[in-house]
Amino acid sequence: MAEPLLRVRDLAIEFDTQYGTVRAVDGVSFDIYPEETVGLVGESGCGKTVTGLSLLGLIPKPPGRIAAGSIEFGGRDLATASEEELRTIRGSEISMIFQEPMTALNPVFTIGNQMADVLARHKGLTDSQARTEAIEMLGRVGIPSPARRVDEYPHQLSGGQRQRVMIAMALSCNPKLLIADEPTTALDVTTQAQVLEQINKLQEEFRMAVILITHDLGVVAETCQRALVMYCGKVAEQAPIEELFAQPRHPYTAGLLSSIPRIREDRPEHLPIIAGRVPDLLHLPAGCRFAARCERALDRCQTEQPELGEKTASAACFNPVPV
Amino acid sequence: MELFSYSLRKLATGIPLIIGVTLVSFLLMVYFGPDKTFELVGKNPTQEQIDEIRAQLGYDQPMVVRYLDYLREIVTLDFGNSESTGERINALLARTIPVSIAVALPGFILGNLLGVGLGLLAAFYRGRWPDKMIMGSAAIGMSISFLIVIIAFQIILSSSYGLNLFPVRGWSVDSFGDYVSYVTVPTLATVFVALGYNTRFYRSVIVEETTRDHVRTARAFGVPSLQLYCKLILKNCLIPIITRIMFSIPFVVISGSLLIESYFGIPGIGKVTYDAIITGDQPILKAVVALTAIMLVVVQLLTDIMYRWVDPRVSLK
Ligand SMILES: Nc1ncnc2c1ncn2[C@@H]1O[C@H](COP(=O)(O)OP(=O)(O)OP(=O)(O)O)[C@@H](O)[C@H]1O
Ligand SMILES: [Mg+2]
Repeated sequence: MAEPLLRVRDLAIEFDTQYGTVRAVDGVSFDIYPEETVGLVGESGCGKTVTGLSLLGLIPKPPGRIAAGSIEFGGRDLATASEEELRTIRGSEISMIFQEPMTALNPVFTIGNQMADVLARHKGLTDSQARTEAIEMLGRVGIPSPARRVDEYPHQLSGGQRQRVMIAMALSCNPKLLIADEPTTALDVTTQAQVLEQINKLQEEFRMAVILITHDLGVVAETCQRALVMYCGKVAEQAPIEELFAQPRHPYTAGLLSSIPRIREDRPEHLPIIAGRVPDLLHLPAGCRFAARCERALDRCQTEQPELGEKTASAACFNPVPV
Repeated sequence: MELFSYSLRKLATGIPLIIGVTLVSFLLMVYFGPDKTFELVGKNPTQEQIDEIRAQLGYDQPMVVRYLDYLREIVTLDFGNSESTGERINALLARTIPVSIAVALPGFILGNLLGVGLGLLAAFYRGRWPDKMIMGSAAIGMSISFLIVIIAFQIILSSSYGLNLFPVRGWSVDSFGDYVSYVTVPTLATVFVALGYNTRFYRSVIVEETTRDHVRTARAFGVPSLQLYCKLILKNCLIPIITRIMFSIPFVVISGSLLIESYFGIPGIGKVTYDAIITGDQPILKAVVALTAIMLVVVQLLTDIMYRWVDPRVSLK
């Protein structure tokens, strides 16, 4: 296999809170290869966004910080890189788009202005070149009459169109990696499908890798080649999509999969859910963080933390679901 | 055209405000106000003399007529003569308002510019020592009385106990040098007192804005901090900033600063208003109240137009 584009090792992210320091991400490791799409899934609060932000050095500090680990990208360690260095990477080599298209753009500048700013900064284009380029990008992400739209303000566009503008802006400098943080969660179902399709199509055109953060396993199944399942700040399982869906090894993944509603003949009375609650980051158990909710937990799970293997398909579990 | 019809509508809706403000002040100042007949008639007056004075002061008219007279004065912008000096009030205003503006303007502008600047700086270094120093100084500045600040500045800068650089009292605009020498100490005192409040206000507005999603987006696209704060964030903060600045204008222009003008012996409108309150000079007070109300309405209109200009989401409907 080719060299990984991004190599994250033992990443730990901490936040100082009123009640003490919490480790929102604890010992996360993964690789991203060029041109692949990797899903990052998990329940709300498990650290997906924070992981994505850390790749660009965007953890708000204070109160947050990267407490340990390395993020290798293009021969640099982004975990320790200077703000200057990170700034040249943000929006040019690694781009990120966010969950809330309604508020992610600056309301008092035109979309053309905001896009041209990125192009001028990273590609050194003049104002008129940047504007031409912005119009072209808007066309490529499927905004109708882009030459007119370019002078409009974000509030004049629909949510789906704003997310397309964000995508256009994110891709305008040909990034090698796009981090898409729940890019479709705030959109209606039809628009969701269109935007995802657009991302997939552009990914091939631009030949970039995508980390797709989502809690929607259906989206992962449709768009990703691999997925990382996060639970409570740790990676519970990683596997290629077919394997993950056909034979989930981690009991948490198995639980997640069985709780997806789907259209099937045998309609169950109740949708199975994973019983229990996600532990509080301030009061983590000594052993596996999923142990308290796990049907397969052993004694060992209460005291020891399982490690994720180095293999492409591995689960951090002492008693994985048998194949 | 849209702007013109909007302005007309907005000014029309200002009329009830002007009537409300003037009516309340009229009731307080005139209806419940002092009767000055016996101050003016002298000793042992005859009934005719008393009646004559009362007629001159308009006391023989019913209250409704007197209020309508007041409204007529407002519409024609002719407020009659001062009761104490007999000077025409329009002439009095034309003489003193420019002085008050000239005294207050440098401090007003400087206080707001520095307030925004320090607010930006404090917000940028939020939670770190520059922020703590700025906010600490702001708290100290806010807790010292205006009077003490004025006297301290006078002693330090204008007296022989201190640097003795400026005249203690007085006013002259004969030359620019004169203006600077008389306006400097009042300006410094005003800035000293206003800066704490301004900085606190602007810092909180800016900090609030830094938590918005679009700021995270800007960071994610490599916007340098200077551009982020001084352009992207600041432009989003303009609405509260404009509101605060615009709505203090009527008070800067019309009321002046009473303390500044009396402690520095400056013949501005603040001093005139103060004297009018002491002597119960109703025509002057009525003029000041009416002008303040009119200015408020005009400022409101201008503020709305400025909103439209800085924020594309605002529409003038
Ligand atoms: N600014 C912050 N201050 C303190 N704690 C934070 C901050 N940002 C994130 N956290 C902590 O990090 C944890 C992970 O948050 P994160 O936003 O990454 O979750 P997520 O997986 O993206 O969830 P969602 O699906 O809801 O977006 C949260 O539980 C929270 O405790
Ligand atoms: Mg999130």
